[in-house]
Amino acid sequence: MLLPLLLAIEFGEGDADLVRRLQRRDPRAMAELYDRYGRLAYALILRVVRDGGIAEDLVQETFLRVWNRVQGFDAERGGLGPWLLAVARNRAIDYLRSAAGRMRNAMELPETEHPALFADMEKELLNSDRVRRVRVALEKLSENQRAVIELAYFEGLSQAEMAERMRQPLGTVKTWVRTALKSLRDELGTAVPA
Amino acid sequence: MNCDELRDHYELYALGIAEEPEAGEIRAHLARNCDTCVPGVRAARELTTLIGAAAPAAEPPARLRKRVLAIAGAQTGSRWNWSPVWAAVAAGALIAAVVFNVRAHRAAAQLERADAELQRVRSDSVAQTRELARLNEAFAILNQPNVKQVVFGGGAPQPPRGRVFLDPARGVLLLASNLPQAPAGKIYEMWVIPKGGKPVPAGLFQSAADGTAIHVLPGAVDVAGTAAIAVTVEIAAGAQVPNLPPVFAAAL
Repeated sequence: MLLPLLLAIEFGEGDADLVRRLQRRDPRAMAELYDRYGRLAYALILRVVRDGGIAEDLVQETFLRVWNRVQGFDAERGGLGPWLLAVARNRAIDYLRSAAGRMRNAMELPETEHPALFADMEKELLNSDRVRRVRVALEKLSENQRAVIELAYFEGLSQAEMAERMRQPLGTVKTWVRTALKSLRDELGTAVPA
Repeated sequence: MNCDELRDHYELYALGIAEEPEAGEIRAHLARNCDTCVPGVRAARELTTLIGAAAPAAEPPARLRKRVLAIAGAQTGSRWNWSPVWAAVAAGALIAAVVFNVRAHRAAAQLERADAELQRVRSDSVAQTRELARLNEAFAILNQPNVKQVVFGGGAPQPPRGRVFLDPARGVLLLASNLPQAPAGKIYEMWVIPKGGKPVPAGLFQSAADGTAIHVLPGAVDVAGTAAIAVTVEIAAGAQVPNLPPVFAAAL
């Protein structure tokens, strides 16, 4: 279901021009930004909060934050989509933590939204083939391995919180996390640079 | 710690689950633009980005696009395109037509319409400037790293619901949804309720037709001394003390 959507989205070179127009405060650029990434952001946030109304509020907050911070984004170095998705994820996790009365990680969440951290990312990162491959790779994980990755990414749980939620020893959870990440890396052919 | 020791923690860091001291060490390496850790964490972020992009597809409602475009002052494309430049051109065309019109009374009427159009453009421009200033205040509060956030109405089948953000230096930001427009002659009033004190008026606002509302109380606020933020319906001029039970309250 995601593939047609991703196929319809232009990534790569177009982002640089879009960033420049956002920085010039061109309202039509905001429309283009939403048309390019709005559905991805909504789908991600909805997966986290599981409430359509709240997801709408958080998508609006996400674009508001990107609009406000885009001046710090280097148009030539790319990463607009990954940056926007990171902001979307953080807005959603922040909401979950607030709603559940959990501590807001005031240090970590804003830090991971800094646009410079997304510079030089692969321009075709979000193309349909890569996303399809990661979905296949996630499906190949064992149930527990997939659960810990989803609890970390979509619910923002720490490894200790996952151990408590899953009623498993912390060491077991850490093993599942590491083996899951290694499997994903092997499956996707990504490697940490030497 | 050296980069080799941190290498196995890049993906945990990108997922937000790296533990100390490794997380702090990676932050320090990134801060000094480490040649090994910067590309390593970038590769890890690429992986986590793909996990997010692989979330089940979902179609957002059409109204969400309008809400997002309102951020940039372009709630409808046509309204923005008929911005002051184009409206002035339209007004100029009307004026030019008048000059060549032999019927004086029609010329006068057209001039009147042109003048009205210019007044409307000026009014729109003032409204847009005011809205931009209000949104900038909202941005400023949202962007504070230590802003306190309170959720109200979450999980309730009957709205309203939303969030309140409090920053000691910049003020209070209220974001609400599913808030029906106040009845004719009435308006919403926000109150800051101190611990052990009486509610303090915190500004008037109206919700939009889609039930959303953004209200900002700019300026310093005693976050630690605040017990709750509440909203009541009051007469259009506002009130100094709440006259009705709150429509909703966000307890800190």
